[in-house]
Amino acid sequence: MSEDERYRASTQFRLWSFTLYALHAQRTQTNLNAAARVRAAVRRVREVRRADTPDGGNGNVPSMAPEAETDCLTVEEEKKLIAFYCRQALDLGDFLGLGNEVKATAVQYIKRFYVTNSVMTYSPADILKTALFFATKTENHYFRLTKFAEKLPNTKAEDILALEFLLTQGLRFTFDVRHPYRALEGAVMELLAIANHDVPLLPGVEGAYPPKPHNMQNRVFAVHSNARQYLKISALLTDVYFHFTPSQIMMASLLIADSSLTEWFISSKFPSTAEAEEVKLKILATITSCADMLREVNPIRSKEEIDLERSQMKPLGKKLNKCRNPEKMDLVALQKSKREGDGGVDEKVIKKRKMEKEKFAKEGEDLFGPGLKGS
Amino acid sequence: MKLLSSNQPSMATTPADSPDRSIDDFAEQMNEAEKNKYTKGRKLGEGTYANVYLGTLKSDPTKLVAIKKIKIQTDYKEGMAPDAIRELKHLQELSHPNIISLLSVFSSKDQNLNLVLEFLPLGDLEMLIKDTKNIRYGAGDIKAWMGMLSRGIYFCHANFVLHRDIKPNNLLIADDGEVKLADFGLARSFADPYRPMTSNVITRWYRPPELLFGTQHYSGAVDIWSVGLVFAELVLRMPYIAGDTEVHQVNLLTQAVGTPTEENWPGVSKLPAYTVPLPHTPVREKDYYNQMFGTAGIVGVDLLMQMLVLDPSKRITAKEVLNHDWWYTDPKPTRNKNLPRKGGGEEAVVADLKRRPGVVEDERTAKIARKLDFGNMA
Repeated sequence: MSEDERYRASTQFRLWSFTLYALHAQRTQTNLNAAARVRAAVRRVREVRRADTPDGGNGNVPSMAPEAETDCLTVEEEKKLIAFYCRQALDLGDFLGLGNEVKATAVQYIKRFYVTNSVMTYSPADILKTALFFATKTENHYFRLTKFAEKLPNTKAEDILALEFLLTQGLRFTFDVRHPYRALEGAVMELLAIANHDVPLLPGVEGAYPPKPHNMQNRVFAVHSNARQYLKISALLTDVYFHFTPSQIMMASLLIADSSLTEWFISSKFPSTAEAEEVKLKILATITSCADMLREVNPIRSKEEIDLERSQMKPLGKKLNKCRNPEKMDLVALQKSKREGDGGVDEKVIKKRKMEKEKFAKEGEDLFGPGLKGS
Repeated sequence: MKLLSSNQPSMATTPADSPDRSIDDFAEQMNEAEKNKYTKGRKLGEGTYANVYLGTLKSDPTKLVAIKKIKIQTDYKEGMAPDAIRELKHLQELSHPNIISLLSVFSSKDQNLNLVLEFLPLGDLEMLIKDTKNIRYGAGDIKAWMGMLSRGIYFCHANFVLHRDIKPNNLLIADDGEVKLADFGLARSFADPYRPMTSNVITRWYRPPELLFGTQHYSGAVDIWSVGLVFAELVLRMPYIAGDTEVHQVNLLTQAVGTPTEENWPGVSKLPAYTVPLPHTPVREKDYYNQMFGTAGIVGVDLLMQMLVLDPSKRITAKEVLNHDWWYTDPKPTRNKNLPRKGGGEEAVVADLKRRPGVVEDERTAKIARKLDFGNMA
């Protein structure tokens, strides 16, 4: 069984790889379904309110639009919000001192979850915490739940757990994520060995070295750290995991870091026959389109760029607050009612949680929440 | 069903019969679709970790499956339990004739996980080994079983997965006699270099010396040691190195295989828990093994000895096992349909599946969950 065959047996390939068109269609469907549900839920809430108050209700419920049809997020707006929260997840992961694999896996969990779920239904600010916590478990980097929750602002252990099952269901119970990091280490080792003439270019073929690129060893060192940055940030925040294999993503990061060295590396693996040339061009085209997608997110951002993003996010955050599904707000209670069968939750519990929520809401009014403790 | 919303406490008492609750999230729809593929039959058994049900495929009711419903563990407060996560994570990826097939996963209303597994009605290798009264088998049968086990473990390692709990009662037997590696509750992907892993894995009798000495960096060699001890047990029809405690295990291991020393295993004395009884026992020679494991033949004994090499870096790898001469030497491995089999049936399935992954169950240490310190675990 070849490496390619093994990859094609993975859930990353079977369930989580899409064409550009299929991914967009799925996200559109998710968005439309969620918007329809939000509108239906808002209607229901209003009906109940009308029934409760004889004067027809004066709409004093916070974050509820006036009687007009709810203005829902578009697919593009959802994508921007998800991208923003994925970056938040990386920052939170750094703050918690989580390893690279944990952060990378968590971000892919968030992206996978929102292929079939909408931010209007489940808040990405909540999902990201659960995704990070769950990734500590799947990546064998155990972190006590209570400690984990303590370190986060306004977060209780039960908040994180309330979403865990939803997350795993959204992931279709597939937890393995294949990253390009080992591939990069392998490629760099090989390039260094080639630079030092330690290995044949192709297995079993001696001496068929084309002239090596100038100053190869130093270039490989530079490529290594540059490509890593793209893999640690751009690869996670763009859609490349949905459209390319880990080795293609790794090659694309090399291409960005040093295109002539990478093209030499790839070319050196193909004999000079017309047939091989065709395959090579196909591979180069794939890697180039992957590199183009990677370039959509620059791994290093200036303060101005960060501020710009925040200012763009603010109106989106406000819009989201107005079109969140009112029936999915209290997920802890929802989770409890599911666990305990369909019997309701104690009124007192609901009231207490409501008060806590309001308190939290006052403390962290804006979309970004209060600052991280100690940062 | 009740609707709950913190913003609208009054909603809590409003019955929600709204039609669009039934077309809930896409994920829930997919979950329903998976669930509806199977009919859950009667309960076959109940365990502490899971209940097992007999199931049938709706599209073809003659196709049997085992539905393992994982219980929510009250003693574990950190959400979905690590053993369930490990089992799901790895079985979702591994598809091989000698690894138990995970056919589907779905959740039931109360958010319990249901694993739909292939139905393996003929028990496990341990049952065959122990039933010395009714079951007789020979070298060809052992070779067939070992071949299937070796292919399964090679596939795990080729996919960068360590099983970490190979033992006869995790080797289940399908209707057609095929042996399947099961129980991935302790499995994990290979760690990156320098990243520590816990040494507290593998049921004691099958645990290799490097883990007994507390190493935190190890490889597929740990599984190969266990495979070697399954081989030895198949021949002897009893566990080869069956210690009561870890210290006892090291003592018995030393007598059975030889004392690990700097001479035969450079660096061993620096492992965290390295202590060996005095006086040292020299590493056992071929004659010793030939006397004890003659049934396997001279070439078979050579394979066994290579699996039980003390130094893990010199131990045979899964790939090398598959290339060993033993498979090409007479007798040929017995065909599956001619392999000895036990009555098995439903009781056997239940006994195997309701066990909690990673739990040691034998006469002496009945049902003692191995203590895994998840806090320090990597």
